[in-house]
Amino acid sequence: MNIPIQRKGFSLLLISVFSLWSRADSIRFDLESGHTKCISEDIKSNSMTVGKYQIVNPNDGHPLPDSHKITVRVTSAYGNSQHYSDDVTEGHFAFQAVEAGDYMACFFAADHKPSTTITVDFDWKSGVAAKDWTSVAKKGSVELMEIELKKMLDTVQTIHDEMYYLREREEEMQLLNKATNNKMFWFSFLSILVCLSVTGIQLWHLKSFFEKKKLI
Amino acid sequence: METTGGNPRCGGAAYALLGLLLLTTLTHISALSVTVNDVECIYEYVLYEGDTVSGNFVVVDHDIFWSSDHPGIDFTVTSPAGNIVHTLKGTSGDKFEFKAPRSGMYKFCFHNPYSTPETVSFYIHVGHIPTEHDLAKDEHLDPINVKLAELKEALESVTAEQKYLKARDSRHRHTNESTRRRVIFYTVGEYLLLALVSGLQVVYIRRLFSKSVAYNRV
Repeated sequence: MNIPIQRKGFSLLLISVFSLWSRADSIRFDLESGHTKCISEDIKSNSMTVGKYQIVNPNDGHPLPDSHKITVRVTSAYGNSQHYSDDVTEGHFAFQAVEAGDYMACFFAADHKPSTTITVDFDWKSGVAAKDWTSVAKKGSVELMEIELKKMLDTVQTIHDEMYYLREREEEMQLLNKATNNKMFWFSFLSILVCLSVTGIQLWHLKSFFEKKKLI
Repeated sequence: METTGGNPRCGGAAYALLGLLLLTTLTHISALSVTVNDVECIYEYVLYEGDTVSGNFVVVDHDIFWSSDHPGIDFTVTSPAGNIVHTLKGTSGDKFEFKAPRSGMYKFCFHNPYSTPETVSFYIHVGHIPTEHDLAKDEHLDPINVKLAELKEALESVTAEQKYLKARDSRHRHTNESTRRRVIFYTVGEYLLLALVSGLQVVYIRRLFSKSVAYNRV
């Protein structure tokens, strides 16, 4: 399935999740029939990622109309397809992220004559949040607190890692800025040189031309 | 995710455990980046009345770097009752926080007045701290859980700030890379233009003298 980027007639929603770590991300969005919406998330390598999507039933109690079907495709940062479902109302996927980068989950609603809007509930967890805490938890309130504190410890660890990442990025940017500054400096000199050389060539050429024409 | 989607779980004890987890650790968060062409809305469910909804958003503009008179984007939060709880107009990124007047599905909308798409990356966090009322209602709830919830909220605020910084850093980087590209492109273009113009000058002068001299000679 081609993922249209900025094609007329399709309103592509690139929703990329700004998170590298454990974060539960349950969003609900509307999908018009015939349109595509993509959600992308930055996933670290070797981290577990779990996703679950379902169409929200607008009338409780009545079954979903047949037209409410979506096609879902999850692609990795380099374009490898990780999950593909055609014409479903709900589903889930789970995989270990081998490549680090932006993973994209695209939802496509088939075209329907009276344009319908499908509400999709999407839950995408990666990293530590993908860990199933309820299965790790035991009964009793003391263990519960332990789970909570463990979660918080994970959170703190992730905050720490994130700070390192931000610091690295800032350093990269400083280097980039310095390089740009340097380039501009050399380019200004080069600009003067180019100007003078062009003038020189012009003068020399015209002089030789006029001498040839015996005007000088 | 514990709140939306309604995962059916078998076993009453597991349900109670889940309920306890909910009461103490309610952190409903979502961080996204959206390309806004006109209006883009995201729905987020707030479980309890009085919950603090906090977040931030940053516009990582795509192509409108040189148009400094871009009005920015508008941000509105609509409560389930339909009235507007929070608005921010014409900004390129800001933090927000408000207390939810009631529980329900809140709508967070971004409106882009220009036709060019802008990417907005935002983060929303719904935090709940169990109050005295909750403590009285459920005897399993330890007062320590309140402190744990507060601690968790503090950590979440740090995380939110980090996400904001990351988004702003990304935008900054975008701007820098664009500046660098444009500097090189314009400079090289300037050189070529200069050479071309001087070449045209020479050609014109040659032509001028070739014809009129011939005329004069004749």
